[in-house]
Amino acid sequence: MCNPYMPYLAKIIRIIPQMDDVRLFQIRFEDEKIRDEFKHRPGQFVMVSVLGTGEAPISISSSPTRSGIIELCIRKAGKVTDALFRLKENDAIGLRGPYGNGYFLERIKGNNLLIVAGGIGMAPLRSLLWYSLDNRDDFHDIILMYGTKTPNEMLFKDELFSLLYRNDIRCLLTVDRDDTGTWKANVGVVTKLFDLVGLDANTQRHEGRETQGKNNSFVNTSATTYAAICGPPIMYQFVLQKLIECGFPKDRIMMSLERRMQCGIGKCLHCSVGYKYTCTDGPIFTYWDVMNMQEVV
Amino acid sequence: MMNYTITIDNLKSLINDLIGVYTVYAPKKAATTVLYEAIASFDEYDGNALQTNTSSKGIIYPQCDRLFEFAKTSDGMELKACEKYEKVEETIIFGCRPCDAKGFLLLDKLFNWGEYRDESYFSRREKTAIISISCATPQSTCFCNSFEDSGPVSKTGSDLLLTLIGERYLVEVVTEKGKKIIEGSRYLEPATENDVALKQEAEQAAAKKMPERLELDEIKKSLDTAFESPYWDTAHLPCLKCNVCTFVCPTCYCFDISECLKGYTEGERNRTWDSCSLESFTKMAGGVNPRSDSKQRFRQRVMHKFRYHVDNFNEYLCTGCGRCIRYCPVGMDIKRVLEGVK
Repeated sequence: MCNPYMPYLAKIIRIIPQMDDVRLFQIRFEDEKIRDEFKHRPGQFVMVSVLGTGEAPISISSSPTRSGIIELCIRKAGKVTDALFRLKENDAIGLRGPYGNGYFLERIKGNNLLIVAGGIGMAPLRSLLWYSLDNRDDFHDIILMYGTKTPNEMLFKDELFSLLYRNDIRCLLTVDRDDTGTWKANVGVVTKLFDLVGLDANTQRHEGRETQGKNNSFVNTSATTYAAICGPPIMYQFVLQKLIECGFPKDRIMMSLERRMQCGIGKCLHCSVGYKYTCTDGPIFTYWDVMNMQEVV
Repeated sequence: MMNYTITIDNLKSLINDLIGVYTVYAPKKAATTVLYEAIASFDEYDGNALQTNTSSKGIIYPQCDRLFEFAKTSDGMELKACEKYEKVEETIIFGCRPCDAKGFLLLDKLFNWGEYRDESYFSRREKTAIISISCATPQSTCFCNSFEDSGPVSKTGSDLLLTLIGERYLVEVVTEKGKKIIEGSRYLEPATENDVALKQEAEQAAAKKMPERLELDEIKKSLDTAFESPYWDTAHLPCLKCNVCTFVCPTCYCFDISECLKGYTEGERNRTWDSCSLESFTKMAGGVNPRSDSKQRFRQRVMHKFRYHVDNFNEYLCTGCGRCIRYCPVGMDIKRVLEGVK
């Protein structure tokens, strides 16, 4: 008999510190069969159990194209993550999932992808980023915009810096202020990056237009653009405004919702927003969905 | 399906026989309460009270339910599934009221929708039969007649329904499960057309005692547009957020998952009833709470039962048992709350 609340045992393989209160946990299921069967989509989450403390929903940071190990980028924020930070490599945890809908890959395929991340919001988007890069032929142009407060707070710095030299993705990194004096990329809020790509309603809606110059990577294609954003509330506010100004239809903007969850499988009702459940209908919603939801904050 | 009749003395014998085979839960009187408890003989059953204080949902969906156990071993952790799901005993709920019986039908859908089925609930549900007794004397708090397929003598959700007709009960067999219980029993006699007519009389008599129906479809329409309404600013004020309404409700099913440690190396993960009226219900790690205000939480409970649930399942998440009205310490009446929505 299958008990949907029972996690599978997993081991912490490696802990890679990102910041004082953010760590990347590499995790592997103990049972080889479970390891092979575990297939997730970018944007989905797992319920992580620290046995003896409790369970928390955590989005998956690794791409399904690199299977075997599950990476979770976790900020120390509550009871369960506190306990998780006390664990060491080789310690056992429980994991069940994956749950949730994930990003709408079927719809994005063949189109442009714009990823806008702020702070810890990079965690779920990293899965989408590497998925799209590993399936590069499925997508037209890919742009990543990532902003943090300071250079030290930038997650996955090494791998993102390596993207700066690739020509199949436009990687734009920015910090609000550079207190180290060594930052070589952009300075300013993430919405400023929009000016660099010259993203506007006309260019991205026009079909088959000629190239307008090197900076504008969104023209010259009949594909439309999907935007995936994740970050702190204040960032959402400004990025959404910017995207609408650029002419993005609301149903092509994907954002993720955060709610308290207990079961992850649409039973316990903790994560309900109106008649929708964040765990099974989400956590990825279009801006159109979110606008029509009440009590989203 | 067939109808039978049974005399009051024979019913006593039948239940006593069933107690030998099944675990029989029935309303049992304590000092100040009447609650469902396992009975050892029919004499412990108290049929005088219209309703038990708490609903019968706890028999199938216990207030605290173990999901699994874990233990620390020399080289890591060990998870242990609960054997008790396989060991559930055949159970009968006797003396259930139609409103409580219908509640289980609503819960069935909730625990088995989407991709996941809740085995812990269904392990008990599948082995439980419900013998209901029609209500002859509905009270002013009752409003089961406001819902479809529901009412003081409704068969919905029961496996057997007993209705008092004179000195005997009419026994209506509703499901195969119910048929199995009384199969070959010597206490029953086939019902005549006259007996069925007598039930209709009982039905009419009970219907007369029911308070007026709520116009729920109209209320749903008002709720659809009432989210931002200033009505909620004042409607929630009397509410103490004590959650007794959730506790006694046959359809409130929200739950919390928590852990309980036994010593330093063992523990269990449990599921316990929770309530959307509690502040901690939506509070996230880091302290953000999308429903931090008591107005929002009050609105959520009403909206979920009478609007969101209807959007998802096309039925109301309420059976009209009226317990929330009866036990509210400040006398809030869900019927008045709903009628006032604008």
